[in-house]
Amino acid sequence: MTGHPGVFRIVGQSVRRTDALEKVTGRARYLSDMELPGMAHARLLRSPYAHARLLRVDVGAAREVPGVYAVLAASDLTFCDPFYGPALRDRPLLATEVVRYEGEPVVAVAAVDEATAAEALDLVEVEYEELPAVTTLEEALAPGAPVVHTGEPLAGHFSDLSSLRAKPGTNICHQFDYTRGDVAAALTGAHLVLEDTYTFPRVQHYSMEPHGALAQWDDEGGLAVWAATQNPFSVRSELAKMFALNASRIRIAVPLLGGGFGGKTYAKLEPLAAALARVARRPVRLLASVEDAFRTVRRCSARVRLTLALHRDGRIAALACEADFDIGAYADIAPRVIQKGTYTTTGPYRVPHVKLHSNAVYTNTTPGGAFRGFGVPQLVWGVESMMDVAADRLGRDPVDLRRQNLLAHGEEFAPGDTPVDGKLEESLGRLAEAIQWSTAAAPGRAKGIAAMMKASVAPSVSEAIVRLHADGSANVLVSTVEMGQGARTVMAQIAAEVLALPLDRIRVVPPDTSITPYDQTSSSSRSTTMVGRAVQEAAQDVVDQLRKIAAEMLSEPAARLTVLDGAVVSDEHRLAYPDLLDHHFGMRGGELIGRGVVAPGRTKAALGGSTPFWEVAMGGAEITLDEETGAIAIESYASVSDVGRCINPQQCEAQDEGAVMQGLGHTLLEEMVYEGGQLLNADLAGYRVPRAGDLPPHLETLFVENGDGAGPFGAKGVGEGGLIPVSPAVGNALARLTGVRMRELPMTPERVWRALRARTRPTTNP
Amino acid sequence: MLRPFALHRPATVAEASEILAQEGRDAALYAGGTELLVILKEGLLRVKSLVDVKRLPGLADIRADDGHLLIGATATHRTVEHAPEVHARCPLIARVARHVANVRVRSVGTVGGNLAFADPHSDLATVFLLFDAKVRLSARAGERELALGDFVVGPYETSRRDEEILTSVRLLPWPAGTAGAYVKYGLHERPTLGVAVALTVAGGAVRGARIAVGCVGPRPQRLAGAEGRLGGWSLADVERRAEEVGAEAAAAVDAVDDLHGSAEYKRDMTRVFVRRALLVAAGRAAGRESHERHPHTVVV
Amino acid sequence: MSVIPIRSSSSVRCTVNGRPVALEVRPEALLLDVLRDRLELKGARRSCDMQVCGACTVLVDGAPVSACTYLAVEVDGREVTTVEGLADGDRLHPLQEAFIDHGAVQCGFCTAGMLLTAKALLAEDPSPTSERVAEYLRGSLCRCTGYRKILDAILACATPKVAAG
Repeated sequence: MTGHPGVFRIVGQSVRRTDALEKVTGRARYLSDMELPGMAHARLLRSPYAHARLLRVDVGAAREVPGVYAVLAASDLTFCDPFYGPALRDRPLLATEVVRYEGEPVVAVAAVDEATAAEALDLVEVEYEELPAVTTLEEALAPGAPVVHTGEPLAGHFSDLSSLRAKPGTNICHQFDYTRGDVAAALTGAHLVLEDTYTFPRVQHYSMEPHGALAQWDDEGGLAVWAATQNPFSVRSELAKMFALNASRIRIAVPLLGGGFGGKTYAKLEPLAAALARVARRPVRLLASVEDAFRTVRRCSARVRLTLALHRDGRIAALACEADFDIGAYADIAPRVIQKGTYTTTGPYRVPHVKLHSNAVYTNTTPGGAFRGFGVPQLVWGVESMMDVAADRLGRDPVDLRRQNLLAHGEEFAPGDTPVDGKLEESLGRLAEAIQWSTAAAPGRAKGIAAMMKASVAPSVSEAIVRLHADGSANVLVSTVEMGQGARTVMAQIAAEVLALPLDRIRVVPPDTSITPYDQTSSSSRSTTMVGRAVQEAAQDVVDQLRKIAAEMLSEPAARLTVLDGAVVSDEHRLAYPDLLDHHFGMRGGELIGRGVVAPGRTKAALGGSTPFWEVAMGGAEITLDEETGAIAIESYASVSDVGRCINPQQCEAQDEGAVMQGLGHTLLEEMVYEGGQLLNADLAGYRVPRAGDLPPHLETLFVENGDGAGPFGAKGVGEGGLIPVSPAVGNALARLTGVRMRELPMTPERVWRALRARTRPTTNP
Repeated sequence: MLRPFALHRPATVAEASEILAQEGRDAALYAGGTELLVILKEGLLRVKSLVDVKRLPGLADIRADDGHLLIGATATHRTVEHAPEVHARCPLIARVARHVANVRVRSVGTVGGNLAFADPHSDLATVFLLFDAKVRLSARAGERELALGDFVVGPYETSRRDEEILTSVRLLPWPAGTAGAYVKYGLHERPTLGVAVALTVAGGAVRGARIAVGCVGPRPQRLAGAEGRLGGWSLADVERRAEEVGAEAAAAVDAVDDLHGSAEYKRDMTRVFVRRALLVAAGRAAGRESHERHPHTVVV
Repeated sequence: MSVIPIRSSSSVRCTVNGRPVALEVRPEALLLDVLRDRLELKGARRSCDMQVCGACTVLVDGAPVSACTYLAVEVDGREVTTVEGLADGDRLHPLQEAFIDHGAVQCGFCTAGMLLTAKALLAEDPSPTSERVAEYLRGSLCRCTGYRKILDAILACATPKVAAG
């Protein structure tokens, strides 16, 4: 843990989280704790089939149950546009004509309590005609495969996706291409050309708090929704379209979230809650169970075919990629996921010739959406594995080969995009030192490393307001959602630093679209950088106003005045904030309002905007293997993140420790198992997430802080990077230990066991 | 959320049995509820009544019974873990109880509930097979005793009749000179494989061997063939040749494909863990404790 | 012989966090819902709903129990402790202080369960090893922290072992 005493007062200090007390006392309030007078409880009837025609939905008997306020099937949704989705509006509130995945909502009920709602659903009759389903990429991409969607969906609300490129008549809902140079020529000239295919599994976020929303209409036709969402403004936009409302008449308020990890981005349950509340004419709370969450969103799985070409001297000559992402039955934000992941296939390396193509492929499974890493883990698993294969074939040390190819600080990543804003070599050096790379592992152990670089969403907009009250305390108004990452604490620290106030004089108000200004999303590791900068600007705006008032009072130039301990000071004078406001307003009252807007706008970069910062992280694992069972144990893991500046070092550590362990999940333990369209393990009895006993005996998180980020005080983003290198670091260690190269995740004991057995048996296929 | 039900709290076995006879499949026996309440919540089972057996006299007792150890059906795993009578007579069982599920399930879940639910992926039934376990089934008409192997007939299937209540299980402590071990393996919430072994050693040779394998198939099994191999072996023989016994166990065991893994993998793991468990037991017979650690493995 | 007929209630008298409570509850009422909805003790939370994750952990006569899978009628005559009962007025329990100091709190959804489980562990074993703590927390999941700081916080509250001799 590092601090910067003497440089900053509060920034760089591991201050206590501002929400820690309420969380340890049980007083913290989440969506499932919220109630409104007269509130109804909602439940959903979900499809048991992966693909079926809806022949008949009869809710008549259900409506008659006393205490039932509303029962909705698709045919009842005449008062709204029933389709939603941030990329394609392909997802209906309730299945219409066809169900497209096992678990898709078909009927929704709002009743006086859960028991009554359940009783009502028992009386619903649904007749299905099963249709052939496609549940793997192979099935979905086979010529003549049944199509998951036949209609033409409308575009969503992200302008960079207005040019969605589907392949009509197939299950490909979007394609992404990115080319630089001439890969074909580069391949013929290269010394070493490697080709291989890597797959990444379906995994689920398992936020400990599942999704939920509480909707209430007011008497003037306005809508309020309390939502466990990471981006309230996106939800607002969706509801505005669906219910034909002005944004000004919609309020999305967000309590604390019990985890998000991307699974709570974009509208999920909010539209259904709103529709039920409209018909029930009372507030409706819809809570998902964990089993429901598994049928709401997951990570997009992928099959990635990579071609990596290198010169004899180790320089990467070219990289080509053909990736198929299994995005499930509805698009959610998957079209952007495939773009994002594919665009940075080259990671932190200099690659002159690049030909990248990815497909977003529909299957009759839970929809895939955003999940920590956003398409990058799926690519890095393959690329970083192949870098080690390349090192082996060239007789080069894997760290050294990577070092040779790292982009330099300030070098262009791609035309139009932000140049590299960090010293990548320093991160690699810190990692190598942390795992003692130059010292061979003990017998029976091996080390492996991996590096990644990821862009953050662009263009984006974040605004902040700081209100300095007459008593010298302040509120920070931002729409950053607190889902555990500590963002609200960090915003308070930034404001406190700029305003020269103690932390306990600052309060960050909860996100509420009717009060806190626009922020695009709490995801993409962006909040400290983007919202933090907006807070910094807004606080600075207040400080500038204070200095101006003081300058006038003191007849001194404002430039000679600074802020310190809640006052504006000069060489001779000290004017406390309350006194300044009193003088300015002529009374004890009034406030100063500061504003910050961070909106870099569109650029010529391939994804429509230039990344505000590059998230760079590297990881090294030392493993042992129980050869007889195939069980891998991670004995030691080091994670290095280039964060520019830790606003709160302890929270940065906490984020990266959590990221590494979540990465350990998909590396060794987690996968959603489908059989013929049925999800077999949609609960914690069958889906294995990491436990305390899985923590490596040694876990170190390190931070490179060169103050070179675009965020406040030189900060950059953190939160996703730590997760991404885990799987290739472990896969590379396993290859060094056994000679076995895994291409599939998770590397469960049985998978490794099979691979080890195959190694000793001669095969006909190379 | 649970659907409504009536809760019967009979004071005697006869009363309990009477309710079961009347209500048939509309009633379920209830002790800790750690299995029952979950399947009720999931809608896998629907009942109109629960019959709470926790007030039946003596069902929570743990005591000696004519040379045997008697564990009442409503004794919790936690009670078994700490009970002096279990530590004195069948210490392996006390140690295994400490590793069942998690601490909350152990606080509330009962031995009887565990056996009667007969989830193949469980620990107790496998270990109990090493102690010639006999379950007592009581009804208004009378009582009968069944060997555990005749009680657990398949996955989630027992030979309990509708009006019977499992009231206790009787275990025969091992003879002096017996060292045992239970090794369980698996990633998941429930064990993938459980191997229980015991070696009775006298005069430097194995006089009796017990080997039970559970979780990999429909029900736990004693492996007589594998056990027979060890007769007359010295402890040094056991250390050298445990692999053979493991291989024989792997061939004999009944394994199924499921979320825990393929039958092929489970058979090979049977080979590995029967060997490992025998080595632990042999070490203990020689007064040595193994400190080998393997991932996803608990050595009891 | 007694029976609580379907859809009727029975009396439950217990203490919750040291205070006497008397309630009428239906047989199917789960302790978690009674604590949260009738007693406004929201600290115990519903996550997996099947005893795997520990978010709903409360102590009944000092023993950790999954309130999501525990009938409310069973607490009759017993002492229930929830996270709200850990602090003594404004004075936090050492475990609560330790969790804050060590950065062991992120989203907070697992926190109540973790604290009560740790309390039960330290009552049984005041000087556990790191391994013992991890083993005891087998049924206490966290998706945010990666467990490192939770283990540190609990170990910080352990009684130092007295050196032998």
